[in-house]
Amino acid sequence: MFKNKIIRNLLILVGVIILAGGAVGLYMFNMPHRDVGATKTDYALSATDIVEEYLQDSHSANDKYLKEDGDSKILEIKGKIASISTDFNDQKVVLLKDENAKAGVTCTFTKETNQSVENLKTGQVITVKGVIRSGASYDEDLEMYENVNLEKCSLK
Amino acid sequence: MKKTILTFVILAAISISALAQSGTKLVSKKTHFKFYSHTTVEDIEAHNYKSVGTIHTGTGEIIFSVPMQSYEFEKAKMQQHYNSPKFLDTKKFPKSKLKAKITNLTDIDFNNDGSYAANIEGELTIHGVSNKISEKATITVNGSSIVLNSTLNLKLADYAIAFKDGKPSSNIAKVIEITVVSEY
Repeated sequence: MFKNKIIRNLLILVGVIILAGGAVGLYMFNMPHRDVGATKTDYALSATDIVEEYLQDSHSANDKYLKEDGDSKILEIKGKIASISTDFNDQKVVLLKDENAKAGVTCTFTKETNQSVENLKTGQVITVKGVIRSGASYDEDLEMYENVNLEKCSLK
Repeated sequence: MKKTILTFVILAAISISALAQSGTKLVSKKTHFKFYSHTTVEDIEAHNYKSVGTIHTGTGEIIFSVPMQSYEFEKAKMQQHYNSPKFLDTKKFPKSKLKAKITNLTDIDFNNDGSYAANIEGELTIHGVSNKISEKATITVNGSSIVLNSTLNLKLADYAIAFKDGKPSSNIAKVIEITVVSEY
């Protein structure tokens, strides 16, 4: 009788562990993407500053801003609008770049934040929050400077 | 008189070679790279809209620089796995590069509307590993717009991207398909 009780409790315990494990697994599998707009900003700086930082030493800049799991640093970039376009995913793309700068920051908005771009005009100075995905550099094959690439953007 | 003729000949030679080399280097306005992996267990897709490319209408040179962290997966966990040092190691190798040339450039008329089949040969560098590639592409000319479409089939092992065991090894195809669309 006593032995049966132990077995029963043990079975319940095993059942609970399996259920909990399954729940954690399911949660991990369906874990939502990080909400960039709602996450704390890591660095706030100007478009010119981050471009300069990358052009001077891209290795140390990548080390500072990129993360191994792809959830890289969240930046707030202030700069002057050089152009506004739309990508193949119907996302608004705002280039922040000073007239004399070699490169700028390409800010890609989302379907949810696209609307905030509608009334913006080139020449205007704005601050954009987003996640950095790649830095600025001179590419010898393209024969041009590539911009810093900021995504999941929203207007500050 | 002789000098004048010589000068004329040299000038003509220069302008002819310049003509042969003419054409322009166009920069992409928008791009889409799609990663597609098919296994019986599941199909996995990821999309990247942030690549930058150029096409030179005179030399047929095609270049793409692909920011690797810009690939978006449906599942956040999958995206983290893809970026991690175990797989693409995108912190260490933030960009991939395609450097290729159209080998049948004479078949493509960039000045006349139409759809042209292009053969492309070159080198693709992913994850710090370079391999020769030879693929087909379609170049569509419509007025001032030029669109390039291509599909690359990549063997992950060629780029030292190994899924030795666990779920990824059974759920990710050994050969994946990259679909490229670029508008210049």
